[in-house]
Amino acid sequence: MTEKRLKVKVFRYNPEVDKEPYYRDYEIPHEKGMSAMDALDYIYQNLDSTIAYYDHAGCSLGICAKCTGRINGVAGLLCQTEIFDETVLEPTNKERVLKDLVMKRDQ
Amino acid sequence: MAEKTIKTDVLVVGGGGAGFRASIAARERGAKVLLLSKGPLARCGASPMAGADFTLDGNSMNKLGREGDTNDSMERVFNDIVSQGWYLNNQRLVEQYVKTAPVLLKDMMDWGMEIKMSDQRMIFTSGTHIMDVLLKKARSVGVDMLADVALLELVTRDGKVTGGLGLDIRTGGFIHFTAKAVVMATGGWHKGFWPNTGMRDLSGEGIAMSNRAGADIGNMEFITFCCNVFYEPPMWLGSIAPYMVSLICGGRLTNSRGEDILEGYDPYVVKTGTMTEWNKSFISYASMREIRDGRRFKNGGVHYSRGDASWDYMKMVASFVFPDWRYKSIDLSPWAKMLENDEPVEVGPAVEYFEGGIVVNERFETGITGLFAAGECALGAFGANRVFSAITEMLVHGKDAGENAGEYAIDSKAGEADGGLLASLMEKAEQPLLKKKGESPPCLRRHIQEMAHKHLGPIRNEAELKEFIGFLEDVKNSQLKDLATAGKSRTYNKEWLDALELPNIVHLLEAAARSALARKESRGVHFREDYPDTDNDSWLVESIVKLKDDTIEVGNRPATVTKMTPPKGKIPYLDMMKKMMKEHSDTGGKH
Repeated sequence: MTEKRLKVKVFRYNPEVDKEPYYRDYEIPHEKGMSAMDALDYIYQNLDSTIAYYDHAGCSLGICAKCTGRINGVAGLLCQTEIFDETVLEPTNKERVLKDLVMKRDQ
Repeated sequence: MAEKTIKTDVLVVGGGGAGFRASIAARERGAKVLLLSKGPLARCGASPMAGADFTLDGNSMNKLGREGDTNDSMERVFNDIVSQGWYLNNQRLVEQYVKTAPVLLKDMMDWGMEIKMSDQRMIFTSGTHIMDVLLKKARSVGVDMLADVALLELVTRDGKVTGGLGLDIRTGGFIHFTAKAVVMATGGWHKGFWPNTGMRDLSGEGIAMSNRAGADIGNMEFITFCCNVFYEPPMWLGSIAPYMVSLICGGRLTNSRGEDILEGYDPYVVKTGTMTEWNKSFISYASMREIRDGRRFKNGGVHYSRGDASWDYMKMVASFVFPDWRYKSIDLSPWAKMLENDEPVEVGPAVEYFEGGIVVNERFETGITGLFAAGECALGAFGANRVFSAITEMLVHGKDAGENAGEYAIDSKAGEADGGLLASLMEKAEQPLLKKKGESPPCLRRHIQEMAHKHLGPIRNEAELKEFIGFLEDVKNSQLKDLATAGKSRTYNKEWLDALELPNIVHLLEAAARSALARKESRGVHFREDYPDTDNDSWLVESIVKLKDDTIEVGNRPATVTKMTPPKGKIPYLDMMKKMMKEHSDTGGKH
């Protein structure tokens, strides 16, 4: 059986070095019941460890709400939003980005 | 030099319940207090994840206006904690726990804590609510707080704490903290394992850096696994929701051959070990037995289904525990359908709590002048198996540690930091950023976590522990020295933080594995296949870990006994567990 793969498009922006934000595509293996955060974890651990999303002190179980982002244009918790198909992950406010999906503190 | 220097009297490291309670107590003694939270204020560490129960004796609870049992007493709670801790508890700290718990509950109620439920020995609210109450109180008394800041290393001079080196995770800038006293309240080190039930910040650096600075740590081999934790789907991995349902309603656990995994065990042990919190040790043991013998499912766990448990009762329980089948923000409604249809979900044991930690005395002082420790990172009251609430523990430890640290700081002069030492610490911390190529921190982290889950679970043996120690030595001697981040920006560089945390995780895993190897018996949450008896004649001792020239040395000291004399003789592990189950007096193993 061929493993199902998903395309995940992630908003990237490091204001220290990037003039403009951009999107990067990643292809990941899909597992039934995986969240947007699971996809980011896969990318971080296997494909691109430079990616930033608030997970150094997150709960990944819908308690802390620090992983709020936009999943295919809809605001929600990355850790509790299941993904099924091609997915676009963005910050909730592109003007207030610290790095990639991590927002500045006063957000 | 560090980007900035921040001076305080008492530096509290850790943004969970112990840290907040210590900060409030130290501030109320008149000291200037700064609390460092590695993640968001009141939303990181273990505390917000807690269920959360607060336990105390029923008589004291009755006096506070709740329904507590007036025939209950502090002595009975003391006896339960010590017997269920397999007599390895520091009995002085157990006395402090039972005496202070009612005072602390009153404080919390006065500060606005609302109680959702209560019974004879327990009140129940949510971990997030407890943290909100503590945050509000800490603000009102003038505790200074910094979020998203990690302490990387303690700085000492002439055996005395002078402060520490921190990292602002968002900017990547170093901060030099100077303090007269430091309270370590960094919780457990769940991040050493995958899967686990904790927040992602819990990497054990407080225990490891205290050990590096010269404080002893102890009982590191005692690690509690919560049983029946979701192993699937990925989105729910690590959630304890099935554990909560199984504790109250029962259910059925089966292996990959379709066999009931509890058949063949003593019926009394099965009953008590399923419907009370003895399940954390008994079910974790029984599930791991199946998993290790190859009767596991695809994610390495066993199956949990409703079995003979009544669906109506389960629905009623769920309406209290997770209204509308929502637990925190998790939508469990797909699982509700599975339960109704008696379809299984894969579950298994996952790391939940650490009995061991920094050695403290009854004033919560460590072996280093000016360094105090509180909560899960301290070697506390629970011996070889935690019973009763860690929420109570964090508050009682935190209050005393904070008061003592506050008093000490007010009477002390600030020490002067060694500038050369600080510079070398910063240089060392920057290595992964400066190296062009090397080992990837996130890949190595996940590999270590999976190896720890495999080799340092509730069931152990000499060959596997030695293999794991060999693996950790290789990691220490090669990969850890070669860590390099792919991204070189300092701003929110997660892989840099992973690189800084990893040496702590490896240190504690090695301390735990070496302590487990040294303990040639089975006790509490530590079962040795090659030493299946609980040996009360030789092993009623705490394991004590000292770090000498970067080498971990495991020794021991007698358990601290004040009132309750431990049993004698060698007894098979499950027989000893049954004896402990029968000896305690409480309302059914509630924590």
